[in-house]
Amino acid sequence: MSFVKLESQNQLREAILNSLDLIYFNFPRTLENVVIKPNMCYYWDYSTGQTTDPRFVGALIDAIRSKTSPDVKISIVESDASAMRCKYVFRMLGYEQLAKNHNVRLVNLSEDFLETVQVKAGKQSFKLPVAKTILQADLKINMPKIKYTMDPIKLTCALKNIFGCIPFPRKSRYHPRLGEAIVAANKAMRFDLCVVDGNIVSGIQPRRLGFMMSSRDPVAIDAAAAKIAGLNPRSIKYLQLAQQEGLGTTHYVEKGLPLNCFGKRYPRKNLQKKFMGTAYKVVLRLKLGQKLGLE
Amino acid sequence: MVSVKSVRLGIIGLGYVGQIHLRHGLRLANAEIAAVADISAKALNKAKKAGVKTVFKSYEDLLRNPSIDAVVVALPTHLHLQCATQAAEAKKDIFLEKPIARNVQEASEIVSAARKNSIRLMIGYPLRFNEEFRSLKRKIYDGSLGDVEIAQAAFISSGPFFHRAEGYAPVPVPEWWFNKQLTGGGALIDLGSHVINLLQWYFGEITSIKSCLGYRFNLDFEDSAICVAKFKSGTRAVMNVGWFLQGYQLKVEMHGTVGQATREHKPGSPFKTAVQMLTRGYSDFHKPHFDELQYFADCLTNDTNPSPSGEEGLRDLKAISMAYENEMFPKPERERIE
Repeated sequence: MSFVKLESQNQLREAILNSLDLIYFNFPRTLENVVIKPNMCYYWDYSTGQTTDPRFVGALIDAIRSKTSPDVKISIVESDASAMRCKYVFRMLGYEQLAKNHNVRLVNLSEDFLETVQVKAGKQSFKLPVAKTILQADLKINMPKIKYTMDPIKLTCALKNIFGCIPFPRKSRYHPRLGEAIVAANKAMRFDLCVVDGNIVSGIQPRRLGFMMSSRDPVAIDAAAAKIAGLNPRSIKYLQLAQQEGLGTTHYVEKGLPLNCFGKRYPRKNLQKKFMGTAYKVVLRLKLGQKLGLE
Repeated sequence: MVSVKSVRLGIIGLGYVGQIHLRHGLRLANAEIAAVADISAKALNKAKKAGVKTVFKSYEDLLRNPSIDAVVVALPTHLHLQCATQAAEAKKDIFLEKPIARNVQEASEIVSAARKNSIRLMIGYPLRFNEEFRSLKRKIYDGSLGDVEIAQAAFISSGPFFHRAEGYAPVPVPEWWFNKQLTGGGALIDLGSHVINLLQWYFGEITSIKSCLGYRFNLDFEDSAICVAKFKSGTRAVMNVGWFLQGYQLKVEMHGTVGQATREHKPGSPFKTAVQMLTRGYSDFHKPHFDELQYFADCLTNDTNPSPSGEEGLRDLKAISMAYENEMFPKPERERIE
């Protein structure tokens, strides 16, 4: 796993290539179809730390084409969510402009042809629809963000980003067994490479940490992200399950910058926020949401 | 029109603002929510549970109900003209959410329909009922600021989008918000109408206005605007509005020849808000919304004309229209992504 500092927006491509060199990643010479899955979350743009910066994606596209062929077909994929529509999010977050400038395709997986894949994760069995665009890709690249989130999953990064490829807009149907669903989605759609945009991360508030990391192993990426966010990877259940299911390992070799130089600056969750999150859940459980004007 | 003490109100549209009016309407001293209308069965069920006896899937049916004295119209902007003119023809007094309409032509038609049918028309501008901003009006009137030379107002929020707050799930944005044909514009007409109305109330009519519009989110309409305006009183003001903030800021500053004053409207702490919601049904943050509805009901009971009136809503829209026409940098810089 490589950790590289992002010095400036003008050197993103060099940083990405450097990061990939450190993990000895070479793009296949016969590459035709590449899928890139950035993290998009509601209509919040990159400055919030919630979504992948389209400039970072643009730099990766340039890096791929510089190492393969300018004609390689690249698709940026996302699916609709219960509160987010791709037709608007692609535009609002700058991906439509990116697609125009870099001649890449934007694919709403919720409108793609689907194939059902049966997968097991832990004791749970899932029939997951997988988009043809993903199945037909020669190279699948995951470009997640590092984010704190509510219990039970605590952290979202590489593995959770692939959960976003499930084309159903109402993904809350999986929430009662979210950890297993995340692992199942990753088993159904195995991505080849993770390139994490760590320029701005999301904790209690956004913070510019100015780094990126790369690995072939999404479990290792999530374990490192957990450490950066001040969490013990062992406390994240879906990470343990992902390891058991053979998606990767939480043990990794650090290359490039030392990991602890980022962790100290991560904006960690505070007690007030934790209390508010818990109080909100209690309010909804007590069916007080309407009385409080939250519904 | 209204001779009995208790006013029977109907609410048309139970979206975000309609729900707020419903909550407040059920607590008014001299009015009752006699009926609601919305196309969503879920929203109507919620209203029934909250205590509304009569619900309609179509607002035309509500307007045909002779027992309704007045209506609160909280529909998307493109439906204001049709609904308000039908309500006026049905001789219902109208509380119409801002902006009055999508454009000056539609707003004029609404005002004409209200005049022709001799009904009261009030536009929902809660800032006018905010104690902080009312105190500024008093300061201007009593001369303690002297002549206000320069004013500055900022209303920056997440607009129709949900802002990030940990522990809260984002909510979908209704499709009509993304369509300029249906909204009439973006942040300028949405938030700017509040600010422009407030400042015109303070300083009189805007005589000239220019705008600089922002397109951070690459939509067909502006998501932020800076307006520079000159008022009849001679005061000049800068008004900043935007939908880009994951938070809420509403602030007015005045600099006069004698003194200066700043007023803000802030959301209360979540705990305080929860206690207020449970004990009296509305928070301090939404008290101006409650007060404006109470005032509207009082106007109907006392047979007086409400303000902000339809004419004021039309005047605001004329200023907004002038601001759109006088855009300083008309070509948006949309090439943000290199």
